[in-house]
Amino acid sequence: MEQKKRGFRFYADIYKKILIQDLKSKMSYRADFIISTFGMIMTNLAGFVTFLILFKNFPSINGWDYYHMLFLYGFSLVALTPVQCFFDNNWNLRFMVQSGDFIKYCFRPVNVFFYFMSEVFDVKGLGQLAFGVGTLCYAWYHIGIPVTVLTILKLILFLITASLFMIAIMNAAAATCFWITGSGYVMVIMFRFKDFAKYPASIFSGIFRVVFTFIIPIAFVAYYPSLVLLEPANVPLLSWLSPLIGLLFFYLSYKFWMLGVKKYDFTGS
Amino acid sequence: MNPKKLLALTKAGIMESLQFRLGTFVTLFANLIYLVLVYYLWKAIYASAGTDRVGGMTFTDTMIYLILATALFNFLEMFVVWDMSRSIQSGKIILDLLKPMRFRTYTFWSYSGSHVVSFLLTFIPTFIVVMIVTKGAIHMGLNLLWFALATIFALIINFNIEMLVATVCLYTESTWGINIVKETIVLLLSGASIPVAFFPETFRRIVEYLPFRAIYDIPLRILLEKSGTDTLQGLLPLYSLQLVWILLLIIAGNLFWNSSVKKITVNGG
Amino acid sequence: MGNEALVMENVCKDFKVLNRHEGLKGSIRDLFSRDYKTVSAVKDVSLTVEKGEIIGYLGPNGAGKSTTIKMMTGVLEPTSGKILVNGNVPYENRTENCENIGVVFGQRSQLWWSLPLVESFKLLRDLYMVPQKEYEQMLELYRSLVDIDPILNKPVRQMSLGQRTLSDILAAFLHNPAIVFLDEPTIGLDVSMKDKIRCLIRGLNQEKNTTVILTTHDMGDVDALCRRIVIIDKGQKIYDNDIDHLKNYFGSYRTLKLRLSDDTWEEMLIDESKTDVMDVIMKKQKEQKIKDIRLEEITTEEVIKKIYEGEAV
Repeated sequence: MEQKKRGFRFYADIYKKILIQDLKSKMSYRADFIISTFGMIMTNLAGFVTFLILFKNFPSINGWDYYHMLFLYGFSLVALTPVQCFFDNNWNLRFMVQSGDFIKYCFRPVNVFFYFMSEVFDVKGLGQLAFGVGTLCYAWYHIGIPVTVLTILKLILFLITASLFMIAIMNAAAATCFWITGSGYVMVIMFRFKDFAKYPASIFSGIFRVVFTFIIPIAFVAYYPSLVLLEPANVPLLSWLSPLIGLLFFYLSYKFWMLGVKKYDFTGS
Repeated sequence: MNPKKLLALTKAGIMESLQFRLGTFVTLFANLIYLVLVYYLWKAIYASAGTDRVGGMTFTDTMIYLILATALFNFLEMFVVWDMSRSIQSGKIILDLLKPMRFRTYTFWSYSGSHVVSFLLTFIPTFIVVMIVTKGAIHMGLNLLWFALATIFALIINFNIEMLVATVCLYTESTWGINIVKETIVLLLSGASIPVAFFPETFRRIVEYLPFRAIYDIPLRILLEKSGTDTLQGLLPLYSLQLVWILLLIIAGNLFWNSSVKKITVNGG
Repeated sequence: MGNEALVMENVCKDFKVLNRHEGLKGSIRDLFSRDYKTVSAVKDVSLTVEKGEIIGYLGPNGAGKSTTIKMMTGVLEPTSGKILVNGNVPYENRTENCENIGVVFGQRSQLWWSLPLVESFKLLRDLYMVPQKEYEQMLELYRSLVDIDPILNKPVRQMSLGQRTLSDILAAFLHNPAIVFLDEPTIGLDVSMKDKIRCLIRGLNQEKNTTVILTTHDMGDVDALCRRIVIIDKGQKIYDNDIDHLKNYFGSYRTLKLRLSDDTWEEMLIDESKTDVMDVIMKKQKEQKIKDIRLEEITTEEVIKKIYEGEAV
């Protein structure tokens, strides 16, 4: 039998088709869409209120003033959008693994990771994106960063970089369920760790600076990538390297996830 | 109700949660990392503030408050909403409704076992670590007893809020949306993400009468002996607030649940 | 490639499980215990399946059926031994293997839950890169075998269990795989739906010469579809031959059915080489009145039961 080639175009095409079908079927759950969007707006508002309360009590954090902090905040929100939109099915992984339903993803002639993630596209992530973009623009304007083709390109590149780290964290956290039953809390806590991404990583010192940079890389979710724009005169090497490190982290998390699939013994049934 | 029967449910719950042995250690470990994050963040925040005391809270107070709030959060976390929606969608709820026990009672006691386990295996160790790290900032006296009492009330309030929200699942499949709205409101207004003491004056006045504060803020305030809780006169209003809310929530929850179940069974859903 | 669709040679599969202890104390001990034991789910199973065969893969619950199927489909790797599916090693080339197999696993639908069936079909067509012409021919074939039009535009989540199973089977054959694995396809279905599904499987097997590996507890499925059966128990293959051969082996057995005075039927299995049927009837008649008597061949169900219970073959 001849070998069928499945390259990037095949995957892009399939993703698009599944996405369209998914959106179509989401239309049939109008109430759900409205409630989840409302929930999404609520969490973002609550995050913003927390931020305001904090700055009402403390004028600056570690030398970072209100607008710079706001920039980081907006940056992290935008960077969190891809994980929310495209990798949201990670949250269902442990239930499917536990019940044994996960096995159905292994019977198709496509990449299991791709097939699993393609099943859910989370529209409400777009609400967060809008919120983040708004905050980012507001802070950008007040800080007075010049608007040039170069800064915009930098912004896009480093936003993508930042999002890779968050995707990697959530992939790895979700994949723990292949080994550990009842590991749901790992995902919950990782998702709460992300709230710390919006603070400058310079607050950490010593060993924990290393931990939060290279082991649980929340310092890369906003701080390092955004320094390229915030401190153009004084960009640390790690900021410039972050796109490569991001790819590496994403790749490692993907490998870890796939290793889980291989090791898992599907005893659910 | 036969207490033996209820304790049997607790015991079954304990055994079930012990099955997830690695999950227990992971939770504890994650809590310790969270402790580090909170420590560095607030150290930096207080260092920038220039004063020791903000909103009546010292750095140590804030740290103990936030970390124990998270530990309480793990301990109180029940996933009632998720479990309920899953059992509704799979039809398992019918079996639970047929159990010779009131559904709310049955649910509460089924969860009690996992509370016991997470209290012993995650809350207590976290508490001990906080105690060691803050070098005796937690006063070891009657306040521990008052704190335990307030925590039990908090647990009951939390359960009733969860049940109230879970009942909504009988009407819609939008579990994520419902749950995130609940979690956002509870975490913000209970002081779990930022101490209530930091809230602006008018906002704080309103929040102080809401049930959410009774979950995290009241027990922690009692533990830290803040706002006169070292005297009986200081304690009584807080306990009364908790008890009033327990009463109101039980009545509201019962009414809502009974009328909803009736509607659902009539519709044959 | 020869004429074998599937070859298994001395396949074993072990699992490591934690020794759980009883009671509350045991649970606490387990929290720190490193006490693992090895459980052999499949022991030294060899099997060859020809192209176009329908094999009944039988065994009591927990015998290792599912584990074997999971190894054949490339989801699990055998601890030792060799498996070839269409000349492929399934667990090494999972993707390629999936190209040539179809799977229906129990009551778990593999279709997109909220999509109409036809949209699921289209996505599968694209996933398996089935040319449009072959896809249409396949749909035509489906139409000739079952009435698919009423379910084609129905979302899977709104289907009855029977319709869902039917859809899953159709989806498994859509890319014209060489082998299809069906794990208890008729479980929980009513009599007429079971019949429909058996007809469909037989029809597809004949039209496309598809090899079918069928696990089931329903001997009706076996009678309707399989000539050859393979039985495993406690991980070991205990029987592999034609059903007729089995029935010959148990040829001296008869099922005696007696209608008693209260109109109930009493069934008993009699080995004629040991017991005389007439004796049994006479003895029974002394106790109560017998209204009617029937003597039948041994059913497949009873044959299998005998094997599970340990009668050597």
